[in-house]
Amino acid sequence: MRLHEYEGADIFESMKIPVPRRDVAESVEDAARIAAEIGYPVILKAQVLVGGRGLAGGIKTAETPEDLEDLAGELFGKEIKGLKVRKILVSEKADIAQELYIGITIDGYSGRPVVVAGTEGGVHIEAVAERSPDKIASFQVDPEFGVYPYHARNLFRKLGLSQRTLIACADVTVQLYKIFSRLEALQVEINPLAVLANGGVLAVDSVLEIDNSALSRIKHPLPDYWQRIENALERKGKEIGVTYVDLDGDIGLISSGAGLGMASMDIIGKTLKPANFLETGGGITAELLYKCMDLVTTKKRIKAVFINIYGGINPIHEGAKGVVQFIKENNLEIPIVAKALGNHQEETWEILRSGGVHVVTDAATEVAVARLVELVAP
Amino acid sequence: MSIFIDDHTRVIVQGITGKIGSVQTRWMLEYGTNVVGGVTPGKGGKTVEGLPVFDSVAEAVKETGANASVFFVPAPFVPDAFYETVDAGVELIVIVPEHVPVHDVMRMRAYSEGKNMVALGPTTPGILVPGKGKMGIMPASLFSPGRAGIISRSGTLSYEFAGILSEKNVGQSTVVGMGADPVVLTNLSDILRRFEKDDDTKGIIIVGEVGGDQEEQAAEFISTRMKKPVAAYIAGRFSPQGKCMGHAGAIVRGSAGTVEGKCEALQAAGVTVLDSPVEVADWAIRNNLQ
Repeated sequence: MRLHEYEGADIFESMKIPVPRRDVAESVEDAARIAAEIGYPVILKAQVLVGGRGLAGGIKTAETPEDLEDLAGELFGKEIKGLKVRKILVSEKADIAQELYIGITIDGYSGRPVVVAGTEGGVHIEAVAERSPDKIASFQVDPEFGVYPYHARNLFRKLGLSQRTLIACADVTVQLYKIFSRLEALQVEINPLAVLANGGVLAVDSVLEIDNSALSRIKHPLPDYWQRIENALERKGKEIGVTYVDLDGDIGLISSGAGLGMASMDIIGKTLKPANFLETGGGITAELLYKCMDLVTTKKRIKAVFINIYGGINPIHEGAKGVVQFIKENNLEIPIVAKALGNHQEETWEILRSGGVHVVTDAATEVAVARLVELVAP
Repeated sequence: MSIFIDDHTRVIVQGITGKIGSVQTRWMLEYGTNVVGGVTPGKGGKTVEGLPVFDSVAEAVKETGANASVFFVPAPFVPDAFYETVDAGVELIVIVPEHVPVHDVMRMRAYSEGKNMVALGPTTPGILVPGKGKMGIMPASLFSPGRAGIISRSGTLSYEFAGILSEKNVGQSTVVGMGADPVVLTNLSDILRRFEKDDDTKGIIIVGEVGGDQEEQAAEFISTRMKKPVAAYIAGRFSPQGKCMGHAGAIVRGSAGTVEGKCEALQAAGVTVLDSPVEVADWAIRNNLQ
């Protein structure tokens, strides 16, 4: 789960990382009131969970109340990369002498957290990493041992920092690692970390993404994960316990396993367009596949459903009953193509065929997709 | 020979008394796997499928001579089971459950480093040696004995590849699920190293997917250390960036972990990159794996 910038900033503040004076506005009037309290100029930042927000016009500076009214009004009417702006963070405009970058993420290959810092913050951090690798430094963390200030001081000394700023950056890094660890983050980032004229620092942005598998045991109060899934179908998927990703095509997809689902999308995508990605995980029952059929046929433009499942841990013969029950109860007339192999495959085929499903018994998904293409071709 | 499982492998099942654990134990036994017992704390003294159930792993090892374990315990109990099993001296651990928090996995991996053991997963379908035995959930009917090694990040896609090969009479030496999580306990290149050394394996197929850098790191290993032919398929060409496709491992962050980047790295290492799973059959036949 990704947190909004303002939620991350609150967590930073609670962990003693210096952050600007700020508040969240849900209307232009809110924004004007907050700005008056903070004092002009202020920064207005759209709270949408996408990368590249600044480049997409989601960050503005208001010098005067008149400015603010125009700019906040403009932001609230805006969509950024498909997401409607509902909240704006109104923040003090800091007097920035230099912009730094600090991030902690997980290096899959070493299986360890890695702390990355750079002396050029801002929106082009990936480009900096490629162009000037000397402006980026990093170290791996022993997850049993954690991060001590000396690790962080060594990191920032490599980047040429000294004196008060060196100590301030080390403090921020140690606190940031505590957040990473306690909130079981996949990624936490301050970009930019502003160095002020007096040598102190200020976290003027926050990125925080938490491991969904750990959500239930994290002690820190967190926003409700389901509430923040904007897409109604994706939220429905979460509710029934599957991963559903909404796409813009017209072929419904149900698969068991993420890799198989992605491969199915890739193969279907050569000639047709998938309407969704759906991965059941290992908990298939008749009820679950009934609900999956309901979910993938919600969109009226669906021309066919493609089912690609394996009976390894999943009882696919049970799942087949749910598919057929849904077809019969709803007099579904669009073609349903299924490839279902593994344990109980013959029984599964028989049940699916009783519901008029086109069962393909070949091993390769390509063969089943070829059948699908035949059936939906005009 | 084969990798991971051989004639000396004696398997215990952790979580054997659970619904999934007991069913999968029966299927592992039916496939000829040398399963010698199970562990569920608090259920010691029972039997499942005729096998003794123990309260602790150390006791199970002492009584049965087990040297391998497969986990069907719920995700929150995985770290406890893992540390207990490592401390009991078990050499091979297969962690089937999904949704184990990644911070747990990082600590588990740090704990196991330098110890005389190897672990696969989490979120792995396990290991299957056709005609010999299996640890995990792979559906036996799709596999047949032969000379092609398969390593897959995704469970069900490994079945797909084995099924396509078996249909064309290309058997498999060992099929390994390395696990689909952002951190796994054994990296792709370490599994490749075992296949390179295995006399029964004449060619290897990597089934990868978007996200992470396992395939990129493996490419480096292949170009410097491997002689056997390698083919690779990477799923997720049409996956939207930044969206989590089912498990946290399959997510593209920024420019890292894209299908294009992985394919380029593998191609540069001399790997045959397959555009589609079905192409694996021709590749295997061309490389005399039939």
